[in-house]
Amino acid sequence: MTLNVNFTFDEKSYRHYMNGFLSVLHCHHYLCLTTKTAMDFKEINGLQILQETAEDTMRPVFEEYFKKNDVTTVKDKLLVGMRYYAVMGLGKMKATANEQGGEVVLARSHVDQGWLKRWGRNSQPVNFFTRGYIAAMFAAAVGKPARSFAVHEMEAIATGNDYSRFKVHTNN
Amino acid sequence: MTVMRDDVVKALAGLTVQGDQDGLIDAFGVFVNQLPVAFWNTFALRMMDAAPPERRKQVEAALVRCAYECGYHTGYGIITSEEFKKVVMPMVTEGEKDVLRGAYAVFTAWGWAKSGIAKIDPKEKMVVRATDYYEADGPPGDMRAFMIRGVSAAFFELAYADEYPEGMDTYTCEQTKGIEHGDAHGEFVVTRK
Repeated sequence: MTLNVNFTFDEKSYRHYMNGFLSVLHCHHYLCLTTKTAMDFKEINGLQILQETAEDTMRPVFEEYFKKNDVTTVKDKLLVGMRYYAVMGLGKMKATANEQGGEVVLARSHVDQGWLKRWGRNSQPVNFFTRGYIAAMFAAAVGKPARSFAVHEMEAIATGNDYSRFKVHTNN
Repeated sequence: MTVMRDDVVKALAGLTVQGDQDGLIDAFGVFVNQLPVAFWNTFALRMMDAAPPERRKQVEAALVRCAYECGYHTGYGIITSEEFKKVVMPMVTEGEKDVLRGAYAVFTAWGWAKSGIAKIDPKEKMVVRATDYYEADGPPGDMRAFMIRGVSAAFFELAYADEYPEGMDTYTCEQTKGIEHGDAHGEFVVTRK
């Protein structure tokens, strides 16, 4: 399945759009430091804010695509999430779903590889952005509300593993 | 001749950037991502809203710092890139000033802010104006263009502080006007720390 991506540029405002969504280029320093900032502000639940923000802002991108391209099956909807992940430079993702949730594996990861490049190995997984992204992807694929899925990073490239693995399960 | 922003924008804005076979965008010495603006704006707003009054300045400083370090490292990658050499450098006739103008043209071309240098006192001070920038989107309120502040300090350092990577933390940037604050444009003032 190929993702249809239309990049447009507004010559008046000089803004860029990806399939109609205002988008912007930034680097791994920005996303890794954003993650570190979220970690540092524990008392305001920075990591929860980061994860939920990723979930809430990615979901409309997926749902708009499903609607415009007549994507109807869970399998194809997850594929849309995986393809977008690569197009946006976030890495190489493979997701599988089961009745309770599913599993996601990253063979390559912008956040993890960026983290390694910047700070070296971390003792704990760091890809909170992707946790939110996956939560949005699964909820959009099965038509459940936000926060329907909990995502845990079990193994991480940032800790020295060859790949990252996330476990996804429904929040009851 | 000096750097003509609109010419640079036209040359660079059409470049389509997307992940390679590994889903990564490896360019300018960094990994690049292309995310919805809503993510960056919502994250900053939620962090600021969640912070108690006594912590707001610290959250703000941290958000500026994220962009500052991005601007310093990626900015260096940009101004030393083949694209910059090809598109911008032929227009450079005023040394660092023009390199800075070129950096803001790239800043504009990539959708960070429709911006340019309004005043410059080399090595000491720079005033940047932005007539459109994504950080102004959303509800009106306090000035919150943390990304522009961070990147502006970084760009000025790349032009006038010690050579990369030794020039960090030489300058600071404050926002003095903001579209999100009811002003006609955003204004950013870079000065020595």
